[in-house]
Amino acid sequence: MPPREHGRRRARDPSGRDGGGQLPWAVIYYRASDQTVPALEFLDDCPGTIDAQFTAVLDAVAAAPPPRFSGGGKWEAMHGSMGGWYEIRLTGPGREQFRLFCLLENGTSDELARRGLPRPAIAVITSMRKSWRTVFSERDYQRVRELGREHQRNHPRRIAI
Amino acid sequence: MGLHERRRAQRMQDPEYRAPYEREAREVAETDAVIRQLDVLWADLGMSKAELVRRVNRNASSVRRLFTAGQVRPELPLIVALADALGAELRVVPRPAEAHQTAHEPAVSGVSQLPG
Repeated sequence: MPPREHGRRRARDPSGRDGGGQLPWAVIYYRASDQTVPALEFLDDCPGTIDAQFTAVLDAVAAAPPPRFSGGGKWEAMHGSMGGWYEIRLTGPGREQFRLFCLLENGTSDELARRGLPRPAIAVITSMRKSWRTVFSERDYQRVRELGREHQRNHPRRIAI
Repeated sequence: MGLHERRRAQRMQDPEYRAPYEREAREVAETDAVIRQLDVLWADLGMSKAELVRRVNRNASSVRRLFTAGQVRPELPLIVALADALGAELRVVPRPAEAHQTAHEPAVSGVSQLPG
């Protein structure tokens, strides 16, 4: 092990998978109590290129999940009141900003089983879009967090199938 | 096959979806490969983070974030500086002709370690 600081992780295969041949994570979509699926409705309404780009980034991150660097720089760990969340940030036509908000589903096999998940997953919760040079309000983010809390209260998780 | 995979498979039948998906996947893969190759070089050299930070003359958090999921759109100057500090360089290499005819785009190769 090289003498690196702070208990550095070992180097891994540049392909993104670790030496143990870790399987890709699943990508799941939160389903609300009214049976709507906010993230999928958003993706369906997005320009097709944005939908395709979101999907490509999700697939890349699922193949090499955190804490690895993944997603080409478009997958970001959020901070502050959104700590624990991840977002995918894309720019569309007219510099419109598109965001997809995700939570990670990881844990012991028992914990994953309690959540109804056969393997770790990226849970795509919801999304937002805004014009260039505008900002989301704290209330916007609060709505995102409320959906996340609702998702995490469910055992097993309520997801689109 | 889960919903995500089914939805993707259905969408990919549309060339106007498939093309931006494949372009994005290539861009993401190239970026990720460069960062991971730098990470492997760093580990192989056994260099401390303090030493790496000193060599690239950047703050420690920017270096740390680059190798984790916390960094958005890593800056090329930082990547070049890190490669240099690790005795490597970046190169742009055209794709093989067949792939190039399909993609109509050049490929960024990644990181090559310098001799000696």
